[in-house]
Amino acid sequence: MILSLKGIKKYFPVRSGVFLQIIGWIKALEETDLDIGENQTIGVVGESGCGKTTLGKIVARILQPTSGKITFEGIDISRKIPKEIEKKFRKNVQMIFQDPFNSLDPRMTISEIIGEPLEAHEIFSSKKEQEDYIKDLLGKVGLSSDYLSRYPHEFSGGQRQRIAIARAISLNPKLVVCDEPTSALDVSVQSQIINLLTRIREELRISYLFISHNLDVVYHMSDKLIVMYLGNTVECGDANEIFDNPLHPYTRVLMSSAPSWDPENRKLHKITLTGEPPNPMNPPPGCPFSTRCTLKIERCEKEKPKLIGDEKHKVACFLSEV
Amino acid sequence: MTILSVRNLKTYFKTFEGVVKAVDGISFDLKESEILALVGESGCGKSITALTIMGLVKNAIFEGSIKYKDMELTKLSNEEYRKIRGKKISMIFQEPMASFDPLYTVGQQMVEATLTHLEVNEKEARKICINMLKKVHIPLAEKRFDEYPHQMSGGMLQRIMIAMALLTNPDIIIADEPTTALDVTIQAQVLKLFKELQETFKTSVIFITHDLGVVAELADKVHVMYAGKIVEKARVFDLFRNPLHPYTEALLQSRVKKEYKGRPLPYIPGTVPAATKFPTGCRFHPRCSKVMPICSEKEPPEILIDNSSVSCWLYFRSDEK
Repeated sequence: MILSLKGIKKYFPVRSGVFLQIIGWIKALEETDLDIGENQTIGVVGESGCGKTTLGKIVARILQPTSGKITFEGIDISRKIPKEIEKKFRKNVQMIFQDPFNSLDPRMTISEIIGEPLEAHEIFSSKKEQEDYIKDLLGKVGLSSDYLSRYPHEFSGGQRQRIAIARAISLNPKLVVCDEPTSALDVSVQSQIINLLTRIREELRISYLFISHNLDVVYHMSDKLIVMYLGNTVECGDANEIFDNPLHPYTRVLMSSAPSWDPENRKLHKITLTGEPPNPMNPPPGCPFSTRCTLKIERCEKEKPKLIGDEKHKVACFLSEV
Repeated sequence: MTILSVRNLKTYFKTFEGVVKAVDGISFDLKESEILALVGESGCGKSITALTIMGLVKNAIFEGSIKYKDMELTKLSNEEYRKIRGKKISMIFQEPMASFDPLYTVGQQMVEATLTHLEVNEKEARKICINMLKKVHIPLAEKRFDEYPHQMSGGMLQRIMIAMALLTNPDIIIADEPTTALDVTIQAQVLKLFKELQETFKTSVIFITHDLGVVAELADKVHVMYAGKIVEKARVFDLFRNPLHPYTEALLQSRVKKEYKGRPLPYIPGTVPAATKFPTGCRFHPRCSKVMPICSEKEPPEILIDNSSVSCWLYFRSDEK
């Protein structure tokens, strides 16, 4: 096990007034468990505001959880940790962001961008060795080594994302958090990047936490899947199992809301779902999806269903309880 | 009946890096109560086409003709254009959050549009607007009318923008990626609304998107754009059943299908060319899997096949002319 999250919560304070008093909490993440094993891809899917990016940031230690326990290779890292462990963690857990236009410093050359983590961790003793290694990396992500001294603005979105990937894998990490790595790209380039990420996973035997709102992409990449809604895991388990047999009404809605790609079998005019996710500052007391669910029963509004089932497939819905 | 007819439209921009041929000689017709999808990736010129029709592009070189009914839009003065824009031809933008003025309530912004184009007083305008909000299924429309854009979600603002576009009962609505910024479940609702409204109001729609999934759900006719040109025109059924242009085919294949799991996805090699450096001949030829020697030399002609048209040398028969 590389990383294990137990009962992670993340609340953000909402402040208002002259004295910035806390007037409420945005409950971004509620009681979330997550285990990431070696060379395994966990997909996280959900709509905007469901807490998937917060989860990714907590995994990458960009955010501290409000409560809960995180262990990294057996070491508790939920609170402040010694510098050596921090360094080891950083070397092993890297991140790729959604927007390659904002995630690369416009004033740094490609060789500086990819070289920065290598220098911070003092991997190479000579400049020459480092440069050779970076050239090698560029080849791995499908870019020419002539690009070393160019700046990010000279590249297209897809190429920039390749640079971001090269930076993320430069330290040979065990886990890379990919937060919507293809959403900002054109459809024709999206497949190239997905193929690249898949190839790198096989070559370097790394794990991904793959976050996306696109169910098809997440399914393609993942071994395991987490479906989130309003900060809660509503369904999780094997990707194949969830895809073939979705149990939670929200997962089903998510799957049926995707366009058909077939003008002879149009389906969106048949959808019955209405409304939008509630405000995370003021979530419904019972099941988070109860305000929009077409199958809800009385109990759903009062009591929050627990995530139950076996390792292969868990769901938080009263309808699935026997 | 054809309501909008675009002929050989060109929109060029002069920049330091050279002339950007954003839209380079496109022609199409929009019929009454028809949904025409303009599909392409970023930089193909689909948004500039929309903005040119709306008369919203400044400092560019134009050529060609845009005919709305019997009126030549390219010859209109600013004053005259203003009477058409927003009244006869309305536009819906991609980012609902960025398209409203945050300092005014959505009601004030809707009333402003109503008073500009319709001969009504403020009280009547309010009534018209609230009515329209109800038609796009805004709950508590009277209350929402007096709220500010930041109090709404993206999906709700997009509905309000659609309501605003419909206020003057326009003949044409140009929607530029209206669902791209929305979540799938909200997108499904907005698409459903589009279909519903188009059936009630009989408005013609130019729907601009990069998402062929959305096209399949909504469009009657599809025009595929690549690097400033329309490469294929077809009815939606024909396009999905039998795509002609290799680019269309590749776009259709780039969908992440369930069967692909565990295998590499099919993809189009290379990237969309920069608008200052379009390749010679067919602009898709460096990325095309069926490229022939002639493709890099001469621009392909538009070839009619049944109800479709395609600009590709693959379909050229020398005996035809």
